[in-house]
Amino acid sequence: MKSSALFAQFQSRLSAAGGVAHWAEDLAQAAEIIATHPALAEQRLIVPPAFAACQPWGALLPLLSARGIRLEEAMTPEHVADAPAGLSCASLAIAETGSVFLADNALAARIVGMLTLTHFVLVSAGQLVPLLDEAATLLQTLTRPGPQQQHYISLVTGPSRTADIERTLTIGVQGPRALCVIVVATPASDPSLFSSEEAKDRDNEQ
Amino acid sequence: MSNKEHAQANEAQTLISRPGIAGPIPAVHDMPPFAERLQRGLEDENMHRALERFAPSWRQSRQALFEATAAEYGSDYSFVALRQRLRAAKDEAIAHQQELVARFKEQATAAGAVVYEARSAEDANRYIYELCRRKGITLVVKSKTMVSEEIELNHYLEERGIKAVETDLGEWVAQLDHERPSHMVMPIIHKTRQQVGEVLSRATGREISRENVAEQVAVIRREHRQAFLTAGMGISGANALIAESGTVMLNTNEGNGRMVTSLPPVHVVLAGYDKLLPTFADAMTQIRLLARSATGQPMTSYTTFITGPDRPGKEVHIVLLDNGRSAMRADPRFKEALRCIRCAACANICPPYQQVGGHAFGYIYSGAIGLVVTPFHHGLEAAAGPQSLCVSCNACETVCPVEIPLPSLILDVRSRVVASEGLPWLKRLIFGVLARPRLFDLFTRLAALGQWPATRGTPYVRYRYLRLFEGLPGLRPLARLTRWRSLPAFARRPLRDRIGARANLAAARQEGRRPDEMTVCYFAGCMTDRLYPEMGEAVIQILERCGLRVVFPRAQHCCGLPALNSGDRQHGLAMARQTVRMLERALDESGADYIVCASTSCVVTLIQDYLRLFEDLQLQSWLNRTRALAGRIMDFTSFLLRVLVAQQRLPALRRLRPGETAPVVTYHDSCQSCNCLGLRTEARQVIRDVLGLELREMRDSDVCCGFGGSTSIEHPEIAERLLERKLRHAEETGATLLVSDNPGCLMHLRGGVDANGRPLRVLHLAQLVAEYLA
Repeated sequence: MKSSALFAQFQSRLSAAGGVAHWAEDLAQAAEIIATHPALAEQRLIVPPAFAACQPWGALLPLLSARGIRLEEAMTPEHVADAPAGLSCASLAIAETGSVFLADNALAARIVGMLTLTHFVLVSAGQLVPLLDEAATLLQTLTRPGPQQQHYISLVTGPSRTADIERTLTIGVQGPRALCVIVVATPASDPSLFSSEEAKDRDNEQ
Repeated sequence: MSNKEHAQANEAQTLISRPGIAGPIPAVHDMPPFAERLQRGLEDENMHRALERFAPSWRQSRQALFEATAAEYGSDYSFVALRQRLRAAKDEAIAHQQELVARFKEQATAAGAVVYEARSAEDANRYIYELCRRKGITLVVKSKTMVSEEIELNHYLEERGIKAVETDLGEWVAQLDHERPSHMVMPIIHKTRQQVGEVLSRATGREISRENVAEQVAVIRREHRQAFLTAGMGISGANALIAESGTVMLNTNEGNGRMVTSLPPVHVVLAGYDKLLPTFADAMTQIRLLARSATGQPMTSYTTFITGPDRPGKEVHIVLLDNGRSAMRADPRFKEALRCIRCAACANICPPYQQVGGHAFGYIYSGAIGLVVTPFHHGLEAAAGPQSLCVSCNACETVCPVEIPLPSLILDVRSRVVASEGLPWLKRLIFGVLARPRLFDLFTRLAALGQWPATRGTPYVRYRYLRLFEGLPGLRPLARLTRWRSLPAFARRPLRDRIGARANLAAARQEGRRPDEMTVCYFAGCMTDRLYPEMGEAVIQILERCGLRVVFPRAQHCCGLPALNSGDRQHGLAMARQTVRMLERALDESGADYIVCASTSCVVTLIQDYLRLFEDLQLQSWLNRTRALAGRIMDFTSFLLRVLVAQQRLPALRRLRPGETAPVVTYHDSCQSCNCLGLRTEARQVIRDVLGLELREMRDSDVCCGFGGSTSIEHPEIAERLLERKLRHAEETGATLLVSDNPGCLMHLRGGVDANGRPLRVLHLAQLVAEYLA
């Protein structure tokens, strides 16, 4: 299947960069992956402000709360700094490089991926693309002038790292020490929210 | 000299000292003189061990990544294709800089950023300082930027009471230790973990492990947290300025870059005009090349795209810096250096860089590109010492992700240094003799007669003979040079005395030719002629055994390489013209099909360097004449394989004599053969497939042996170390024969073997082949 080959590629590239990729069939599985992760030992998770209203990912929050996880909306950098775990969502995942594409104008949303120790990133399987060139296209669209313009976009490829001292690779410098990307096959129960190429392919196959 | 030649020489002179290189030169504070930096670099064993360890692993991972991508996505994603694309994008940006700047400014301004164009370092520094002053900012956090090093921003701010904290780990450690980065990507590659532990302990007042790198890395997170949260300004560089959207692209690994650009209320981007790229698509090509070229990693952890301020109250200021870049852009040669994406691949692969580090091999910018851009940013004088370290091995050009002709540009810098400072007297004397064929002939013949006390009749000038005369004035430096490498003796009978009737060029025409007969004009090169006539005889023997007619123009002489390589264009030009004229006449008189030369250094001079020289001096007719000749010139190795073997002209090989064991061969790739002519498999095919001998590859077979023309005389410490490495690698293979196809390398290798009594025979490929002809 097309998506599984792409995912395998994405996973191997991300793992080469020190990150981890998981496949989840739906939000319930995604919740399971997050809730059982060692970074959730304190059952505390930082989420971007207004994440609950964010489609289709907001529906994940009740699933996490139901497992006893304390969800905190990110406020100031001081609040988020060195929190054990944070959650964001990406607009693309790129198989060629194992990168996720994060676009957030709000500083409070960005610091989740900047200052927490383990960063979880959700992305739908429909947004898993083969090449960096698709990032170029999306960058063009999102930086177009206007009220929707995205001012701050990052391609994140693994946790923060350095090899400045004797070229010894050390994971976790100023940013997260772990990056965990969860690719969700069907992130919404409402199929109208899920109309990607991938879904069409799948429909055709069935 | 005729009047016309006089006029041409004068024209050449004015073009050599073409203006536009310096302009006002900003003073760089606390920069030790070159000699001191060099000495420190040579003595720093930790550093060159670290760099020598890094080089092979970097080469391997870099190459593996490019190959894997091409295998998976096709040839459009090969290194060659990617670098052609990025080069084209950069060239477009350089050619249309004004339009691109206008577009970038328009888009960035529309997105809420402020764009300031700074003509000089002072302009940029002042703008940033005034911004701090206006806003009452006293603490600035910085992400790594080489432009800030170029203009010494930290120094400028600190003199005015503003604290600037480097937040990149390596830059921070360098800052704490009052040092500059020695590598553009790995700023403290010259420091050991023990040294880093010491610096960090001193800075924090706490005991930090001298051994545990993870503990050392953890220090920076704790120490910088407060600075990030309280700084009034974040300063970053830019990896690209994307004109279509007014976006700043930043590649970082540690995560500090995103914090510097996000957390403080003011973000200043400091970038040269050279960072402009037309589109996001171009930026993706750059991403695909940058990290692989820099560190051999597939991609940096963070690639950030900033298009104006992200929130109300946030300010983004973009300072576009000229500081010499316009002068580069106006120069038809040096504008190519504006393509640089600061990946430092040219440093990573550079053999002398590995021996002395970036503080000596460069100024603020290090590596090959540092030697090229320093005259424009910091003045010709600042580049004078460092440029002398280049061995012209051309390895940098093979890995540059934007195809900058670095070796040629370094030679251009060298010739400008010579034009402004003059040649050292010894070189002036040598090249003066070299450029006068009859005087040179006389000199070498007298030397061959008078050299006995230094050679005792052996083929070498040896230290053990010379040391007796060490007390004599002028002989001490020569004696010291032979300590680790014996020098070759002049041949009593140079090749030109051994060629007999082959000197009669017209004979080939007069006697008539068989239909399949081929005539070859042999250009030996002065080293073969005067030092190694036996190599020349081997070449002639092979060609004639293949049924070819060989002619040897007696008017042949030095091609001018030593002068050109030393930046002496005046003598180089004279020898270039002499050689072109001589070869034209030889072809004309003999009707030869090819000009064959068994010295790849000379071949590169003839078919590449002359073109550039005549182009630079705008000597159009000489350029055309050289182009016409170049198609007929072939190096011996290619000729052997592509003509003699391909046309099945090579005679049968002899059987091994009773009791003779076949030798094991190891091959040294001469830089000119592999890096300039692209010969990587040809000699191996000859040894393995044609001769049927066992070939054992040595480590780093294509890394310079250290001869590097005059570099081995100017910087013998470097030449000695590179030679030692090369011979060690050759010996490790267990081979008994060390073969190459360039007399310069062979001279260096033989001398090293002789001085140290190593159990290796060093042969030219032609000599090896000649030994096996039946």
